[in-house]
Amino acid sequence: MVIHYKCPNCGADMAFDSESGHLSCPSCGHEENIETFPEQNIERKFDEGEAKEYHCENCGAIILTEAETTATHCSFCGAPVVLADRLTGDLAPAKVIPFTVSKDEAVAAFKKWTRGGRLTPRGFTSGDRIKKMTGMYVPFWLYDIEGEAHIQAIGTQVRTYQSGDTIYTETNFYDVFREIDLSYLKVPADASEKMDDVLMDKLEPYDYSELKDFRMPYLAGYLAEKYDFDDEQLFSRVESKIVPYIDAYISTTISGYSSVSYTNKQIDAQKKKVYYTLFPVWMVYYDFDNKEHTFAMNGQTGKVVGKPPISIGKVALWFTGIAASSFVAMKAIAFAVGGVLW
Amino acid sequence: MRNSSWKWVWIPVLVLLLFFGGLSVSAQTGDLIYDEAGLLSSEEVQELEALAEQYGAEQNVDFLFLSTDSTEGQSIEGYMGDFFDDRADSTGHEDAVLLTIDIGGREVYLAGFGTAERTLDAERVDLVLDRIIPEMQSGDYANAFEETVVTSSEYMEYRPGVNPESIFLKTWFHLAIALLLAGIIVGSMLYNAGGRVTTTPGTYVDRDHTRVRSQDDRFRNKTVTRSKIPKNKDGGGFGGGGGMTGGGRSFSGGGRSF
Ligand SMILES: [Zn+2]
Ligand SMILES: [Zn+2]
Repeated sequence: MVIHYKCPNCGADMAFDSESGHLSCPSCGHEENIETFPEQNIERKFDEGEAKEYHCENCGAIILTEAETTATHCSFCGAPVVLADRLTGDLAPAKVIPFTVSKDEAVAAFKKWTRGGRLTPRGFTSGDRIKKMTGMYVPFWLYDIEGEAHIQAIGTQVRTYQSGDTIYTETNFYDVFREIDLSYLKVPADASEKMDDVLMDKLEPYDYSELKDFRMPYLAGYLAEKYDFDDEQLFSRVESKIVPYIDAYISTTISGYSSVSYTNKQIDAQKKKVYYTLFPVWMVYYDFDNKEHTFAMNGQTGKVVGKPPISIGKVALWFTGIAASSFVAMKAIAFAVGGVLW
Repeated sequence: MRNSSWKWVWIPVLVLLLFFGGLSVSAQTGDLIYDEAGLLSSEEVQELEALAEQYGAEQNVDFLFLSTDSTEGQSIEGYMGDFFDDRADSTGHEDAVLLTIDIGGREVYLAGFGTAERTLDAERVDLVLDRIIPEMQSGDYANAFEETVVTSSEYMEYRPGVNPESIFLKTWFHLAIALLLAGIIVGSMLYNAGGRVTTTPGTYVDRDHTRVRSQDDRFRNKTVTRSKIPKNKDGGGFGGGGGMTGGGRSFSGGGRSF
């Protein structure tokens, strides 16, 4: 893997000066300490021959492997894949969370998960129809986001009291101002077009304590998908992801009111750092009722997501069971309190 | 008694008649219906008598109907109290629900005596009055009494002190909550069948650098709205709670003008 240090001043590749122990720019002379060099100016690229790129002509997927691993079939559609001519100066990931769930463990965890499905048909819960299981590194962009929020709101406090035969409702209005510093670290957004965003979001959270600097050997035996969207294209998605988090935080900073109405809510958020990261995902393909179902498993935590088949009979059974038992329970309480059943 | 050889058969019957004299005598003029003001037709009297008999046997009380043209200068409570004292003294029946209509003063009073003082308390009396007031106003006194008997009987089934019209005791409410609960639970099971979102607003927050930099809460103004506590509904409610008759019998009750 080749690491380029882009000069923050002019954008040229900086060189490591062994005498000073600093990075220095050949075109403008700018110097930087390698320890504190800004992450966003570091560019990692694949070295020639260390990675292979396969193209699927059926679905268009682009799959990366390390040099020793051979891919024959597309992990998305199963069609044969062809090796691309060569991998030229492609962006390499900066970070990776390695697989900690092995294939055997993944199969066992998936079987356990299918058995636990309370609404899935009986045939599905036996869970021995796994057609194909692929361990795949899915490309994500992780964003460090910094921002601030300026909030203006009107809060009310309502108090009622009685005097004589009159009820008084006193409403106090307050002007509420908040200036808030916001910081979110490593918010992920999957950069793959093929992966369902909702599915990928549900795989979160990953344990970032195991986030490692990317090295080629992590890829051995696994496939990695190439990113389809760059960090600029995905920023709006990550923004829409954190806005609810920010809203939730803002509302915790305004308390003690019976109602709060926002008159001005200004949120500015910028990305401070971006990390091209690979997350481990087990893709499970499963045949049931002549339909193929896709499941994904967090390759670090074992969490399974995906749309299982639903048994109408079991849904009806649960519904009537819950409805009937809660009806009986309420009748019993009513009888105990009121002394009358009907 | 034409056949003297059957004479001995009648002896125990006569004894019984003497023993329950008051009861059997008033039975001929109306044991439960005292329609002094003539508000009911004779068929209605018969029907209501049968109805009151039937429900009264179930509840172990006498359902009584009293109407008058005039309370003779007394309050309707006093008038019905005197009536009940007389009747209870002569029949020995202390447990009763009494609906009194003063057609002259256009007032109605419902009272519970004996066991009915508890099983048909002032709150329940009020609920029954709510139901019969429309019939009183339209002059349908027979139906008003029928409603009184049926509804009171229904209420008396409930444990004393419980509001029988409480929504929490209604079957439709139980059914609605049961269906709603099942819908919510099964709905969330379906929703979560594909895996649950387990990230929270706190998952990615940087607690060291997310903070309120400045804040201000400034009082701006206040408004006060006034509302009168509503008075007793239907205008003419009175005698709520009950009281004591001249003869020292306590009762639950309530009255209305109509
Ligand atoms: Zn430079
Ligand atoms: Zn494909």
